[in-house]
Amino acid sequence: MAGKLLLHGTLALATLFAVSANGQATEGDTYRETYPRVAIDPARGVAGGADPAFGSTLQYWESDEALERHKHWIGDPAHEWKLNWKFMDLDRSDDMHPGYLALDKGEKLFNFWAKREPGFRTCLGEGKTDLKGLAAGYPKYDPKLKKIMTVESRIEHCAQTALWETFKQGSPENNLIALYFRAQSANMPIKVDTTSPEIMAAYRRGENIFYAKAGQYNFSCASCHTTSGLLGQRFRGQVPTSPFGDAAHFPTYRVGLGDIESLQQRFMRCNLQARTRGLPPGNPDYTDLEVFYTVLSNDYPVSVPSAR
Amino acid sequence: MKALFKKGRRMLPLLAAVALAGCAAQAGKPASPAPKTAKAPEFSEWPCLSRSLPCGQLPTRAPVQKALAEPLNGDPARGKALANERSKGNCVACHVVQGAVQPGSKGPDLSAYGTWNRSDAETYALVYDMRWRNPDTVMPPAGTNQILTEQEVRDVVAFLQSSK
Repeated sequence: MAGKLLLHGTLALATLFAVSANGQATEGDTYRETYPRVAIDPARGVAGGADPAFGSTLQYWESDEALERHKHWIGDPAHEWKLNWKFMDLDRSDDMHPGYLALDKGEKLFNFWAKREPGFRTCLGEGKTDLKGLAAGYPKYDPKLKKIMTVESRIEHCAQTALWETFKQGSPENNLIALYFRAQSANMPIKVDTTSPEIMAAYRRGENIFYAKAGQYNFSCASCHTTSGLLGQRFRGQVPTSPFGDAAHFPTYRVGLGDIESLQQRFMRCNLQARTRGLPPGNPDYTDLEVFYTVLSNDYPVSVPSAR
Repeated sequence: MKALFKKGRRMLPLLAAVALAGCAAQAGKPASPAPKTAKAPEFSEWPCLSRSLPCGQLPTRAPVQKALAEPLNGDPARGKALANERSKGNCVACHVVQGAVQPGSKGPDLSAYGTWNRSDAETYALVYDMRWRNPDTVMPPAGTNQILTEQEVRDVVAFLQSSK
């Protein structure tokens, strides 16, 4: 075979990656590959999980009844992935899973600090003392702080300002309190405000990240989590699942790690598994990706405690 | 619903965790996990998802249709090991190959590739970088992104050609 390069055709097909966030110059001359896009309507929330481009699995895990109807798939390697592991959320298993123990620890930890300094509670509640239902609205734009806040960044911020403590995102303190905070919204539908221009700007940046190829394997999130990629296919011993509804069960108890893990820690581990430089939890790019992912869980109930 | 966690299985690690936490934790501060000693690779030489780190500005390494400088000189036995080894070729993540344990299902079954009448040169160019033929492939460019060395690509090609 001749060593003729067919570069021109490939380059024409590949989309150029534009860095458009935060007023940075668009770098249109940098060659960046992206995975083919799928149209997603953010207004549909979790309902987009019914689309064939994302495996059409919503019907199997959208409700307790749907999960009950298909529970015979649990343990069946050909079908189990279609349940999107939602049978491991909340109290859907008969036995108590370690997520509950983590939640107990989180509650104790929160009470310890809220008793020592009541301002910690009102900071988390943005003035309210009852945290019930508040976490279902995250991530959200905070007009006072002028940035997108996640549950974890709110905890970091409030620990700093009310306790003078450093509960860094991804730390055991932050994860445990985040689990407790999220559990105050358990079973309530996730409602990320898609009418907020700041949230939607972050959503679009997060969507770009979802399709951006990166790392030594040249994978994007979409390479594994769309049907034209690996979604529903065996990928060694595992089957990649739908990105819809995925943000609902974090922070989750991860059996393989023996610890709880936040959504952004999962992003980091996922990047490393795909031989891509991981970013620290709380990084603005992961926050954008969390906004995108959580909008894909809108209207699905907060599903903690959970285990994976 | 079916019980997902057997009592015996979950209690052991939990007891260990509780014992450890008891040693190290202070009030209001759960024990932190022990710091990892070995330095993990960072992969900063390839594009990352950051808009501020230098790796976020790196270009994707462009597709190449790599010509094979003859002869192939590959070692099929070494190629078989590379194709099955997770830290190397990891071909089995998506393909059935000879000797595969828990193979994936995305890519075509390559266990009889040697009967397909493909040339060494074509096979070499595709293992090296599939993107010149299919820009939207999910197959990592083993040669272009240095997942395998030049000789290791040759070994994998020799293994595939010997799979009959």
